[in-house]
Formats: sequence, C-alpha cells, structure tokens
Amino acid sequence: MTANPSVPDAQQVLKEQEMSRRRFFALVGWGGFLASMGGATFGTFRFMFPEVLYEPPTIFKIGKPTDYGMGVTDTLKKERQIWVVRNDKGLYVLVAICRHLGCTPNWFLDQQRFRCPCHGSIYDIYGNVRGGPAPRTLWRAAIALDPIDGQVVVNFIQRQDPDPKSTPEGLTVAEEGREVAPFFVTT
Amino acid sequence: MTRWFEKLQQQIVNTQVWRSLFRHGYPDTDLNRALVMFSNVILHLHPVRVKRGALKIRYTWCLGGLTFFMFIILTITGVFLMFYYVPDTRRAYNDIKDLQYVVYFGNLMRDMHRWAAHAMVFLVWLHMTRVFLTGSYKPPREFNWVVGVVLLVLTLILSWTGYLMPWDQLAMWAITVGAKMAEATPVIGVAGPFGIQLGMRPDNDIRFMLLGGTVVGQSALLRFYVLHCVGLPLIAALFMAVHFWRIRKDGFSGPL
Repeated sequence: MTANPSVPDAQQVLKEQEMSRRRFFALVGWGGFLASMGGATFGTFRFMFPEVLYEPPTIFKIGKPTDYGMGVTDTLKKERQIWVVRNDKGLYVLVAICRHLGCTPNWFLDQQRFRCPCHGSIYDIYGNVRGGPAPRTLWRAAIALDPIDGQVVVNFIQRQDPDPKSTPEGLTVAEEGREVAPFFVTT
Repeated sequence: MTRWFEKLQQQIVNTQVWRSLFRHGYPDTDLNRALVMFSNVILHLHPVRVKRGALKIRYTWCLGGLTFFMFIILTITGVFLMFYYVPDTRRAYNDIKDLQYVVYFGNLMRDMHRWAAHAMVFLVWLHMTRVFLTGSYKPPREFNWVVGVVLLVLTLILSWTGYLMPWDQLAMWAITVGAKMAEATPVIGVAGPFGIQLGMRPDNDIRFMLLGGTVVGQSALLRFYVLHCVGLPLIAALFMAVHFWRIRKDGFSGPL
C-alpha cells in the first residue's frame, strides 16, 4: 500500500475525531458538577411542596337535609365556612368567603343580608351583591345526598360562579339557572 | 455576526450596572488580583498574598475551611428543615417522621443536616489537633486560638441543642443528663459547690434558666429551638468573622 498524501489514512481520521483526554475530563467534570447542582436545586424546590396537608377536609358531610329549616342556617360558619340555605324548593350551600378580598361576612337575620366586616360588601340570601365593593356573587358549593345514609355531602372546592348582571339592585344572577345539580338538592 | 456580538458585549460591559457589579478587570494581572481581594466584601477576608507553604494541603488539611463548609451546609439545610418542623412537644416527633417518610427529599435534607453536624464536631477537633501539633497557637496567634476554643464550645452547644429537636427518648435523656451537669455549676447551680449556701433551689438556678422549668418539657424544647436556630448560629457567625479576620491579619504559620 502506497501512502497518498492527499488522502488521509483511516487511523489519522479516527485520531482527529477522538476527544482528547483533557477535553473528556473537563466535560465529565463540568457535566457532573452541573448535574449535581441541578439535582440539588430541583430537590430543594420540590421539598417546598408538601405531600401531606394538615388542613380540614374539602369534602365533608353536614347531616340530613331535614336538619335544616327555612332560610339561612348560620351554625356551620366557624367549623366549615359555609351557610346552608333552604327555600321552598330545596337546599343550597353558600361559601362564607367574601368575593372582594376573602374575609368572612356575617349573617344579619333582621336585615336578611350578609355583610362583610372588612370593606362593607353586602349580599342577599341568594348571594347576590346588594352593595359594597364585591365584584361577583357569593360562591355556591357543590352538594349531593349520600346514597347510603342520606346525609348532605358538601364539596367545598367545586363551586358555582356564574357571571353576574349589573342591575339597579346590584350584581345579580337569575335564580332559575342556579338551582341545578350539583349545586342544589330538591327536598 | 461576531462583530454584532462583540458590539453587544461591549455595550453590556459598559453599562453602569455591570461596572458597579464588577469593579475591576479580569484577575489576570497583579493589580487586578489585589483589587479583587480589596473590593469584595467576602473575598477581602482572604489575604492578597499567601505564602506558598501555607497552601500545602498536607500542612492545614483544609480542616478549618471544611468546618466552615459544614456550617454553611447546616445553615442552608437547617433553614429548610424549619419549614416543616414545629417545636411543639405534641408535634415535634411527628414532624421529624414526616420529614423522613412523607416530605419530598425530606430525609435527604434531614440526613445532610445530621451528618454535617457530626462532621462539623469531628472536623473542629481535627482542626484544633492540627493547630496544636503545628504550634500555630503560639504568639502572635494566641488570641485566635482562644477565639477558636470559644467556637469549639459553640459548636458543641449547637450540637447539643440540636439533639433535643427530634423529641424522642434519646433527645429527652441526653438533655436531662446535660442539664444535670449545668445543675452542678459552682455558685449558680443547686448541686454545685456553694450553691445551696447561696440560696440556689431547683426552681431558681442556672439549670432552671436553661430549661425554662424544672424538667425537660415544652419550655425547654422551645428554648433549645430558639438557641439552636437563631441565638447560637448568630454568635458563632460573629466569632467566625473574627476568627477569619485574625487569620488574615496574623498570616499563616507556614510549614515547620
């Protein structure tokens, strides 16, 4: 075999393509360093998202529908942050969180109004806004009857939130559209 | 393409923000190397020039630096552990178990804190042994040796206060035994010499002050938690700053 200077032989080509020892170690070193830094950053970030919560359950039972009389029942506000409301057709559950900035309003039986102590939002028994800065109507939580013991099961985080209309009385939502499953139980 | 890139680079380097962050050129000349040390608050603790011998790994074994590295690890992992740990006798043990079995990377975080704590105590001893064997405690470095002894005691107390945090049997009795030692302090402990004669009782002596009660209970856990997470690390950091500054001022002792 005669050597042709214009055609590099196979060994030479292979040697040029090969990574030098120095470059290889630099790559492994920096790669390892960056990988460990990335792993530590990811682990620390993930650490901040708890796997177990010590919070009240978001789905809970509140007893039989017959436990609740006409109008607003104010007894569950502290424990469950809800009001149970009965009208002549059935039950719905209002979430006791003001739609302005999240305070808990109070129920005034004589005025038939929920009034927020923080910035003065006023809601009626349907959750419609009758005054103050609240931009939307009160949430209604999803409810259902347990097929076994007949208790009302509330899903606190599944909420009805229709777009309200601006009227002379305030921000309102037509009641017919709201009294539907799963946000209303006919009894 | 390259000219466009260089132009952009020049523009960034010439901004006031860049020039305020990097107040000197690249440290490839003697002047710039000195300026790095002078103009950076962290690096200024390091001398501008170090004797060649002092950099020999077989002289210092980098034991002081490793101890400080452990302190950094402990500070960072400790802050993260504080997000899940509550110093309440009813919760503390469960919070530790949550960290071990529930929290993502919680066990790694806890083990890093635990092993770094053990390593720090171990490295402090080795560091002091090295300083003793090379005679580096002798004048003019005797002041820094005493600062180092204070740091040793602080490290041990930090280790001891951390011992109570899991609120298990080991924690409970280790602190009970340790507090018993405080009780035997002369004059200010009820079981120490002249204690009783000077009116010390189990409910007014130094042990009482340390535990915030007569037994290792809720107040003791809270006190140790505050000392472990805030009080002692702050004091230790202060002494470390002095310790490092003295090294810079006194210079390295150099190989024998």
